[in-house]
Amino acid sequence: MKYRIMIIEDDISIAELLSSHIEKYGYESMIVDNFENVMLNYHEFQPHLVLIDINLPKYDGYVWCKEIRKISTCPIIFITAREGKMDQIMALENGADDYITKPFFYEIVIAKIKSHIRRCYGIYVTPIQERKIELNGLILYPERLEITFNKNKIILTKKEAILAEVFMKKYPNVVSREILLNKLWDDINFVEENTLNVNVTRLRKRLIELSIENAIEPVRGIGYRLNITWRNE
Amino acid sequence: MKLFFKEQLALFVLYFSNMFFLVIMYYFIGGFEKSENLLYFLFVSLFLLICYSVYRYFTNRRFYKKLSELSSSLETPIADIGNSCLDEALNKLLKNQFSLFQEQIHNYDRKQKEHLVFINQWVHHMKTPLSAIQLVAQENEYEPYMANIQQEIDSLNRGLNMALYMARLDSFQNDFYVETIDLRTVVTKAINELKGLFISKGIFPQILIKDKVLIQSDSKWLIFILQQLLTNAIKYSGERNKKITVQAYKQNKNIILEVKDQGVGIPKKDIKRVYEAFYTGENGRRFGESTGMGLYLVRQSCKRLQHRVELESEVDVGTIVRIIF
Repeated sequence: MKYRIMIIEDDISIAELLSSHIEKYGYESMIVDNFENVMLNYHEFQPHLVLIDINLPKYDGYVWCKEIRKISTCPIIFITAREGKMDQIMALENGADDYITKPFFYEIVIAKIKSHIRRCYGIYVTPIQERKIELNGLILYPERLEITFNKNKIILTKKEAILAEVFMKKYPNVVSREILLNKLWDDINFVEENTLNVNVTRLRKRLIELSIENAIEPVRGIGYRLNITWRNE
Repeated sequence: MKLFFKEQLALFVLYFSNMFFLVIMYYFIGGFEKSENLLYFLFVSLFLLICYSVYRYFTNRRFYKKLSELSSSLETPIADIGNSCLDEALNKLLKNQFSLFQEQIHNYDRKQKEHLVFINQWVHHMKTPLSAIQLVAQENEYEPYMANIQQEIDSLNRGLNMALYMARLDSFQNDFYVETIDLRTVVTKAINELKGLFISKGIFPQILIKDKVLIQSDSKWLIFILQQLLTNAIKYSGERNKKITVQAYKQNKNIILEVKDQGVGIPKKDIKRVYEAFYTGENGRRFGESTGMGLYLVRQSCKRLQHRVELESEVDVGTIVRIIF
């Protein structure tokens, strides 16, 4: 069964971007088009989860949140540009379950949706399929930190897996040092240029364990590029 | 008393010269028969003058007193200041002036408030399209041009936040909440929010704070302050591969937070004025994109949080900014 997510947001471009991204993860989504009476849309669609903005054309998000609460206990997540303490308190007091401030990241929205659906419907097997990146027989499972080639399987460290994912996704283009550093940046230990060099070297060594040699080629002044030096058997 | 004499001086002069001339004229047309007559004449005229002066002084005593002291509050002019016709006229004038003045202040106040509401709403309106751009950027994160776009998004976002905090400065008392916070957590958060800027400028941040350094402050404002200091430090680092160190230590009961860069430093003649609003100085002209607001906002918000700010800088060596809690 697909979980249904209702998006109450008057900025159409954000609503559409959110909706298409959510659908990529196997949910069904709907954008509210009637701000005079959101409840009509609600009854039609019967969502499992609601994403709602505070600033809306007719009534604000708090009002609709209260209305929904009268008939349902489904998770409600606010998405708003206001970040004051008062706004957050107001949202939670009016029955919201969570709060995301603009500008936001897809990962956070998806993670919150997942966690609330899990909580509320008690289903830990999510309909989300595991990500798998394949390039000429080399297969990376980013969530498992696993890379396989020719039935050989090795486990990577988190940083190695991040690098492998970027290289494989961006193949055959050069990946700039900036992008790599951005990806490797850890919220507690900040990355230095050297961290990047060290980790690329490590990933190279790991790939040798899969008998893949010279796959990562440095490009002077820009960054690195992945070349397919292995044969798919 | 002084004011009274000053005001009546002309009268006294007139009176005495009048007396003098009268005595002389009298002397020429016949003169006084006895010297007692002269004294009598002088006595009567002086008596009248004194009576008049005393009456005048006592009716206007309060008026003179009020006039000679400078008022410190706006309310004073409309307090009653006496009951002679002069007082009343003046009082009427002042009352009238005051109400006109008040009306004008009221107008400006209203305009200022409207403007503030507008800025607040405007920033929030701008954040929505920015979020949309941010989402598109995320979808296409591997495109080669996207790094630049992401930088611009971050820079817009920082600018909007600055405007928001600037607008909030005046209503500060409604917008802050002091709690015990861990410095390390706040510093880490501030640095992480500037991740893109650090990476694109090739500057490496370093935190030298022991596990738990607790202070009393408002974390939202403190993060804002730190971000202003860090963006300055990044901007004025000058070259790539420089370090920015954030350090905390105790000194005579005070906890001090230090943001130190290895940048171009601030010329001596500019140091005194860095906290002034819109002051950019030599570095601002050299590096462009300065608003001259960063340190002004830092100082203003620190003042309201009751933290002290100190700045030390040497050209080509670097700048240290300290916040003393």
